[in-house]
Amino acid sequence: MSGLTLATITHSFSARRVLDTVSLVIRPGELVALVGPSGCGKSTLAAIAGGIMRPDQGRILRQYQRHGMVFQQSRLLPWASARDNIAYPLTLGALARAEVAARTNAAAQAVALLPDDLDKLPVQLSGGMRARVAIARALVVEPEFLIFDEPFAALDPALRRRMQDLVLSLAQARGFGGLFITHDLHEAARLSHRIAVMDRQGKGILGSLTPPGTPGARSEAQIFDFTQDARTDPLLHDLLNVDERAVALDCACDTLGFQRCC
Amino acid sequence: MPSDLALRRVSARRAEWAEMLPILAARTALRFGPPALGVALFLAAWQAAHWHYGAFILPSPWQTLLAVWATLSSASGWAALGATFGRVGLALGLSGLIGGGLGLVAGYLWFVRAAFAPVATILLGMPATAWVILTMIWFGPSHGSILFTIAIVIGPILYIGTVDAVLTRDRRLEDMAASFGASRIARFRTIALRQILSSLGPVFGIALALGFKVAIMAELVTNVAGLGAQMARARAHMDIDLALANVALAVVGLVIIEHLVIRPFQTRLGQWKRGVA
Repeated sequence: MSGLTLATITHSFSARRVLDTVSLVIRPGELVALVGPSGCGKSTLAAIAGGIMRPDQGRILRQYQRHGMVFQQSRLLPWASARDNIAYPLTLGALARAEVAARTNAAAQAVALLPDDLDKLPVQLSGGMRARVAIARALVVEPEFLIFDEPFAALDPALRRRMQDLVLSLAQARGFGGLFITHDLHEAARLSHRIAVMDRQGKGILGSLTPPGTPGARSEAQIFDFTQDARTDPLLHDLLNVDERAVALDCACDTLGFQRCC
Repeated sequence: MPSDLALRRVSARRAEWAEMLPILAARTALRFGPPALGVALFLAAWQAAHWHYGAFILPSPWQTLLAVWATLSSASGWAALGATFGRVGLALGLSGLIGGGLGLVAGYLWFVRAAFAPVATILLGMPATAWVILTMIWFGPSHGSILFTIAIVIGPILYIGTVDAVLTRDRRLEDMAASFGASRIARFRTIALRQILSSLGPVFGIALALGFKVAIMAELVTNVAGLGAQMARARAHMDIDLALANVALAVVGLVIIEHLVIRPFQTRLGQWKRGVA
């Protein structure tokens, strides 16, 4: 069981409501992509789902023991080596050193990090390697559910695709469910079982789209056809047509995370 | 008789060294050359000024070095050095505990920050000389009055530095830790504290340098044992060699402490901010 239910989540920052009775159900083993225009509260919802913050109102039902989270811009500890970054969640508990080392190496292997790279600081790693370290850090806790908050937004298309392939292979191998926040419809169609579309003002989930087949088994042609058709769907009107100049200044997303992103 | 293989190895190693030596020499010259040139220019200007004004106004670098040696050869010289350095160290520790501790609380609690903001501004605006006079009146010319003067001058700097370090830390890293179930204490211990300490390195360097200046000034005015008191004596006897020797000792001492204490602290905790060469 690795499902997540967010029921009537409402949250405000400085008396400005950013999430208004948002409900989302993710079934066990299901990977749901959440799309929506900048500033609609996607990252805030991810932070609430990840236990970083508590909603003002609403309920969260987690049908799993452990979750991992992968963030925008990796959020690696800049003073720690890749190895120590991966091990960080384990150091918060009372695990023996040998077990921490073994699980860290296993997580690093799962994302194909080279042993030489494990002793490097984040500043010495490329964007793709940093993304791999961030994914390994999420995997090291052996999660049953993964939350991705636009983890590959800053990567170039080729690297982004390789990271998506990595997520797909890990999801297939380990069978975890997850929530994948993204702006990119193609990425959502490639990775998820279902695409939930969020209202531009955070007033709930407008609806869902289901790409054909299952993630990892879809052909490029299927994904392309799906995204082309979806572009004419009224559900995605705001995602595809929102003018960032029309977004109020206090709602403008600076891509740095939920607290600075409504 | 060395074998052919051994001879070939030796000659290969020699060739390696022959290639490496110019590179190493160039690196060393680039690293130490500019600072050495700066020091040489300073000493040359000093020597030129000495020739122009004479030994009574400005002793030569060599005369100053001899005076430093004379001071370091006497027990009283070491006692003066120890007194000044001890006071600065004690005051820095005290200010670090009080100023840094309050700064930590104020960084996290806006109410405390708002309440202390005007107090910090007033304390920072007070001239160090005013504190020397005031503490001399309050406590008399004593070890305690100098300690208090140094602490009250550098305390607000450490306070403001700590508040700034708390406020400018990357809170997204703490969010990351929270997502893995880290408690508030664990987030502070493993993430916030590391960032705060790395920001405090330069602040401690400034506080140390200012602490020395204030200590010498306070000792000079109160005439309590230390490098400042030695300078007061030199002034009374018009002994310019001794005065300059004490200045040189204070500067060299400060540089040594900075390289032995502050720089390693900065390197250990703040290397990641400057990136890796």
